[in-house]
Amino acid sequence: MDFISNFSIPAVIFVIVVIGWIKGVKVFDVFVEGAYEGAKTAFEILPVMVGIIAAVSILNASGLVDILTNLVRKPLEFIGIPAEVIPVMLIRPFSGSASLGLFMEQIKRYGADSYAGRALSTIMGSSETVMYTLAVYFGATGVRDTRHALAASLISSYVGMLAAIYVCKIL
Amino acid sequence: MLNVIWVIMIFAGVVTGLLTGRIKEVSEAVLASCTSSVSLVMTMLGAMCLWSGIMRVAQKAGLVNTLARLLKGVFKFLFPGIPKDHPANGAIAMSISADLLGLGNAATPLGIMAMKELSDVNGNSTVASNAMVMFGVVNAACIQLIPATVLVVRQQAGSADPSSIIPCVWIASLASAVSGVVAAKILEK
Repeated sequence: MDFISNFSIPAVIFVIVVIGWIKGVKVFDVFVEGAYEGAKTAFEILPVMVGIIAAVSILNASGLVDILTNLVRKPLEFIGIPAEVIPVMLIRPFSGSASLGLFMEQIKRYGADSYAGRALSTIMGSSETVMYTLAVYFGATGVRDTRHALAASLISSYVGMLAAIYVCKIL
Repeated sequence: MLNVIWVIMIFAGVVTGLLTGRIKEVSEAVLASCTSSVSLVMTMLGAMCLWSGIMRVAQKAGLVNTLARLLKGVFKFLFPGIPKDHPANGAIAMSISADLLGLGNAATPLGIMAMKELSDVNGNSTVASNAMVMFGVVNAACIQLIPATVLVVRQQAGSADPSSIIPCVWIASLASAVSGVVAAKILEK
């Protein structure tokens, strides 16, 4: 498993560059041309990132995330969602770095091979920072009205997280 | 959508901060967040250059079209209405392949490229097309063959068998992807 995950990135680069070279592409010139586009895109998303991360940091620092966790604790425990995973579940769609930090802290507290540790790992492995992904993708294309993108993505995220919680109980 | 959500986030955060007496922490966090956004983009800058460059090579070598042809059936269902020879097909294929491989930040520039092509199909409108929403949702569902970051964290946390969660991750990702596609198809009407 380790080998596959370590090998995937070099393999992709290797295959593309070698096939490009065989097909007579001026690989380095073309690479630089594409890399320049990449740099431009990165600067285009900087203002979007500043806006989103500022708002998320306000939410975190104000203590609202903790308050919401306590609020939903009882009803969620009733349908089988353990209290240990609630903060990560709440924050996961909105902030990648915050949820990763929280995950690292919690997994140490509960133990990596405990039920909570496995459920947390599965949640982190199978979900994405929806707000960030959508903001970056739609921000870069100048879309102002994203219609049902956020709703559908959040549904998908939370169904995935629930599946993670229940699957870890069985497997 | 983000216009509304942004206001709600800031409003709720500041009001809560005032009520809980944590307004000093809020103030510090906002200022610190600007620095961390810049460093996050700076961290991504190199990866975006690298992958945009590599993908340009892949495009010139005709690899993207090969991959797109392999995944054609799936795309026809998920993204109806994209012209057959439009570069959007290839861009989506590359992006989803990068997601599957768990390339993380590397997948982001590919996703942005794909979204730009889809926007082109949509006449660069400021209103997202069904295909653009579907692409966003599929990306957010994040099907990952190897959740590399999580495995590293588990190892550091002293797990006896870090990769034991991989089957759980696959099942959960699949549930997430299927429900996202169904939700997007229902909501687009």
